[in-house]
Amino acid sequence: MNYFPWLTIIVFLPISAGSLLFFLPHKGNKLIKWYTICICILELLLTTYAFCYHFRLDDPLIQLAEDYKWINFFDFYWRLGIDGLSIGPILLTGFITTLATLAAWPVTRDSRLFHFLMLAMYSGQIGSFSSRDLLLFFIMWEFELIPVYLLLSMWGGKKRLYSATKFILYTAGGSVFLLIGVLGLGLYGSNEPTLNFETLANQSYPVALEIIFYIGFLIAFAVKSPIIPLHTWLPDTHGEAHYSTCMLLAGILLKMGAYGLVRINMELLPHAHSIFSPWLIIVGTMQIIYAASTSLGQRNLKKRIAYSSVSHMGFIIIGIGSITDTGLNGAILQIISHGFIGAALFFLAGTSYDRMRLVYLDEMGGMAVSIPKIFTMFSILSMASLALPGMSGFVAELIVFFGIITSQKYFLMPKILITFVMAIGMILTPIYSLSMSRQMFYGYKLFNAPSSYFFDSGPRELFVSISIFLPVIGIGIYPDFVLSLSGEKVETILYNYFYR
Amino acid sequence: MWAFPNILLLSIVMIFSLDLSIQQINGSSIYQYVWSWTINNDFSFEFGYFIDSLTSIMSILITTVGIFVLIYSENYMSHDEGYLRFFAYMSLFNTSMLGLVTSCNLIQIYIFWELVGMCSYLLIGFWFTRPAAANACQKEFVTNRIGDFGLLLGILGFFWITGSFEFQDLFEIFNNLIYNNEVHFLFVTLCASLLFAGAVAKSAQFPLHVWLPDAMEGPTPISALIYAATMVAAGIFLVARLLPLFIVIPYIMNLISLIGIITVLLGATLALAQNDIKRGLAYSTMSQLGYMMSALGMGSYRAALFHLITHAYSKVLLFLASGSIIHSMEAIVGYSPEKSQNMVFMGGLRKHVPVTQIAFLVGTLSLCGIPPLACFWSKDEILSDSWLYSPIFAIIAWSTAGLTAFYMFRIYLLTFEGHLNVHFQKYSGKKSSSFYSIKLWGKEEQKIINRNFRLFPLLTLTMNNNEQPYTIGGKKEARITITNFGCKKAFSYPHESDNTMLFPMLILLLFTLFVGAIAIPFNQEGMHLDILSKLLTPSINL
Repeated sequence: MNYFPWLTIIVFLPISAGSLLFFLPHKGNKLIKWYTICICILELLLTTYAFCYHFRLDDPLIQLAEDYKWINFFDFYWRLGIDGLSIGPILLTGFITTLATLAAWPVTRDSRLFHFLMLAMYSGQIGSFSSRDLLLFFIMWEFELIPVYLLLSMWGGKKRLYSATKFILYTAGGSVFLLIGVLGLGLYGSNEPTLNFETLANQSYPVALEIIFYIGFLIAFAVKSPIIPLHTWLPDTHGEAHYSTCMLLAGILLKMGAYGLVRINMELLPHAHSIFSPWLIIVGTMQIIYAASTSLGQRNLKKRIAYSSVSHMGFIIIGIGSITDTGLNGAILQIISHGFIGAALFFLAGTSYDRMRLVYLDEMGGMAVSIPKIFTMFSILSMASLALPGMSGFVAELIVFFGIITSQKYFLMPKILITFVMAIGMILTPIYSLSMSRQMFYGYKLFNAPSSYFFDSGPRELFVSISIFLPVIGIGIYPDFVLSLSGEKVETILYNYFYR
Repeated sequence: MWAFPNILLLSIVMIFSLDLSIQQINGSSIYQYVWSWTINNDFSFEFGYFIDSLTSIMSILITTVGIFVLIYSENYMSHDEGYLRFFAYMSLFNTSMLGLVTSCNLIQIYIFWELVGMCSYLLIGFWFTRPAAANACQKEFVTNRIGDFGLLLGILGFFWITGSFEFQDLFEIFNNLIYNNEVHFLFVTLCASLLFAGAVAKSAQFPLHVWLPDAMEGPTPISALIYAATMVAAGIFLVARLLPLFIVIPYIMNLISLIGIITVLLGATLALAQNDIKRGLAYSTMSQLGYMMSALGMGSYRAALFHLITHAYSKVLLFLASGSIIHSMEAIVGYSPEKSQNMVFMGGLRKHVPVTQIAFLVGTLSLCGIPPLACFWSKDEILSDSWLYSPIFAIIAWSTAGLTAFYMFRIYLLTFEGHLNVHFQKYSGKKSSSFYSIKLWGKEEQKIINRNFRLFPLLTLTMNNNEQPYTIGGKKEARITITNFGCKKAFSYPHESDNTMLFPMLILLLFTLFVGAIAIPFNQEGMHLDILSKLLTPSINL
């Protein structure tokens, strides 16, 4: 057994190293950037090392567990630990955050604060993915909102204050329900609060109470995930934010909602979940169609990508709602896969925005000649986003389809109907994503400005896009990379549904 | 020069596939090998290959056509900016096509199916600065996605019924289920028609044929490779592969032949009135694919595959010849496809491009079904099978064979006979008229070009030929307006293409002449067996 507090170090390293940023000498932005990048890479390496040597894949239980008493009088523990469900998102967080920091290279305004906030977000996200205590989960969840809010409100487009306010109102509103749910679960039944996930997972509640808890958590996670009709903050926020923030939002933050849905709603409240799962599936299907057709009507490039991520999140919800081994595996794979693809698309949209300075799609056009590298990467990744075989999105969506088909819970007709409607989403996806790439790059255009010469992407941008592209194609060709991480845990979660 | 490794590797593949088909002819057996792709507790996908006679036929077709098209495009694309990109796309396409025909389960078919669609998206959008190409490639992808939607749902449906993706297991389990009457009939029919929808989109059959003419925006070698021989054959391949499945579901076969026969007629009538040489050939491809599809629906598996082979070689020959014409016309009329591919400007090319003319003529004759040439044998088989199937279908197929001869010779005569019209466009008495037209019956004397115009508005195609400056990359293309037509010396005439382009055409000409022989029975020791029957017998019994 290993007693070295790996996870605590991993959680605390970015924020504590980030606070040192304020003590660095004022020697320009370069030092700050390099320092932040080094911290990010160090953190990623540390995470990978710890998981490589101290995490066993065949064990569905909590590993690298830590348990320190923190606040005595209401039994609040500092409990950390990871299992097959959380290892994927944690690694994704490390990867995307490092690349987002690299993508944020051109940020010069208040770069000290910016980079500190990035690192603070890093800590908060890893903290919430690795916490094993309900209240700690809530605290981490809230803690990570502050840097996001500041990032949104200080860097970005013209309407950034509006969108940041919208974001914080939505998520804070959701957090109220999360807090109610956390306290309700913790205080139910016994005199002293039980906040440990393991004990909670074995507890059973009256059905009515469980449904109430479930609704509370569902609202909180639906805001974050997002699930319609609580998604409206997302296009605004993505449309205005700086693209490195967008990468974090699309790559990690949205996945926290889905993660919470599996971790709390599915694992702790199985009865309510099996009652609610048909509704989840219906909502997920509607979301795929609705968001895909809304995306078509967007003029703003980033909003279009934002709606495409809403549409892709529908697959996760359906996978979670299908209550099958296959479906849940597909949902987890989609969490990882969309984390990469969404982040990469936002990054490429942002870099081409840096060059064109045009927001609306109908004003663009003919960029392929001047920026061929960005064009190539954008085409590849929009192909990945429309689930081309060989890319990770395809495998995830295919497995979700199988999850629905093999589900024991539903009858034939609803299954046919759901699959049919989901597959219509498959037709809508290429319409918006290919027309996006066509409007941006294809055709020709005369630029009136004399300085219409664009630089193609430099080595830094190329590095970022290629390093996102590699795992996308890697997972697409050999999906067992991710499936082997989560397989055992998924089986344990689903065991509850059939044998209890 | 970069074409060389491509050609070399593809030739190696061709040798392998030749070897495979010789083995198939001698002792036909099915080879199958699978690896596991993902293993989980609940599900596992497999990857592997499945080789039978159908695979060997298709792989020989793909590799031979692919090699000739690559040799051809070495020269055709040599001055293009995207030369390297072109060969990269071509290789990707050939890979995915070979992957498609060797797949051993439906998931693998779906994967390569989509990859083929993506390659053709890239290849149609090869000249991405042209807005027409940009629109056409998206149209192609979305239309094919509608087919893929059906294909995926069909695969899922059959998985739900039988629990397997592997072809042999699937056929076996399904036959047992049908035998024991354990399946819901309506659901099975639905799933099978959804599967068929995939083939409809890929093979440009009736409701989903809309992408094929627009796909001619790509470079001509691509039209030859993809839209004449390989990709459009994928739909035929899928139906042929799943024929043991379809044949036990009654209404599906009728649906297939109905869709096929509608496409035959529709493609032929559309081809009658095209101005653009490539679009004319595209619609003719569609019509011929309809023949194959209806033959499959009638259950004559052998005739359909035979027509697939003969048509592929003839049509590739025609496309390459038309590419050669376009190449030589481009030098005179400019690089806009609206001009260089327009038959209005052609005519009398026989004198200038004699080798191309011979190649085109042989292709035309073959496609019309003139006896010693390839398509005669296969079309004949299809027509006779259709008489046995249903007289109405047979009459349609029959009369369409006549239409085929009509539109093919219309294209041939407009292109090669008469006078070169580029220089005559200003001689027309009605210079001020903005319309320029070809009648269905061909070009009339230039002076009376508009006389009967109002009488046959439906039969007349018009094109707005002037005052639309075509721009590429912001630069105005120099429009050819011959101002000094009094001086004959200023006229330039089209030249014959280079030898690297003529060589593959000549080889394909030989193929067109002799490929029909594989189905001619040679009488040896009382056995009336031709090569094709030898190759295909076991598949029919599968």
